[in-house]
Amino acid sequence: MSSPAPIVVDRPEQDESVSPDTPWIVLVWNDPINLMSYVTFVFQKLFGYSLEKATELMMDVHEKGRAVVANGTREKAELDVFRLHEHGLWATMQRDDS
Amino acid sequence: MGRRQRPPVERDGAQFRINIGRDERELIRRLMAEMRGLLTESDDDDGRMKRIFPAAYHQAVDRELNDEYQRLMREEILSSRLKGLDAVDSFMAQASGDRAMLTESQMMAFLQALNGVRLVLGTMLDITEDHDIGGVDENDPLVGEYNLYDFLSWILDWAVRAVQGG
Repeated sequence: MSSPAPIVVDRPEQDESVSPDTPWIVLVWNDPINLMSYVTFVFQKLFGYSLEKATELMMDVHEKGRAVVANGTREKAELDVFRLHEHGLWATMQRDDS
Repeated sequence: MGRRQRPPVERDGAQFRINIGRDERELIRRLMAEMRGLLTESDDDDGRMKRIFPAAYHQAVDRELNDEYQRLMREEILSSRLKGLDAVDSFMAQASGDRAMLTESQMMAFLQALNGVRLVLGTMLDITEDHDIGGVDENDPLVGEYNLYDFLSWILDWAVRAVQGG
């Protein structure tokens, strides 16, 4: 997969007329329960990231409150969210309006 | 709980060894059985389970999509969780002495199951970022639950290290 930007930039306006092939982004949110080591491990396992990349992403989640961990079609994003939920991470998705 | 010589979980070739005694194994089995009860008996609005069945779409505009996701995927999450608990119960039951040997796929089930119980227990205890492992006041009425949470965190952290250290 491609390398997503580490953090979402909030835009003030959102286009309401979204086409079906609008890309979606998958976010993981910081939470007080999941261990930092476990979150890193899940990123490695699910997305094939190196330990370095997965650690960087985990630190983004931890320090900035959330990070984009994947992107793609709605179907792909939904599957990624499901797999993250299966592993107990707090993941959600939204349209990529950046 | 860092009093032991051996780590509670370590890699052994292609497998993993869990160095915990019968009492602690039985404790984990009991927790997993309680988790199974909660998974199968709790209703959709049970606050204790909110981290097990989280929302997929967080924006208000996507509420219908989220309802659809819950309708379709809740069962999938449930069956995945139950399958993992079965796997953990089966290798815990087969363990003897002070150790259990796990294959890679059993280890993955163990990680997810441990974390699942932590999510429920952590939600019930309203764990915050400030939670100090092993630092709960002995007179706190929930000290037993906090100790369980810390115990599971300790094993999970070692288990992750064992998997990453391969």
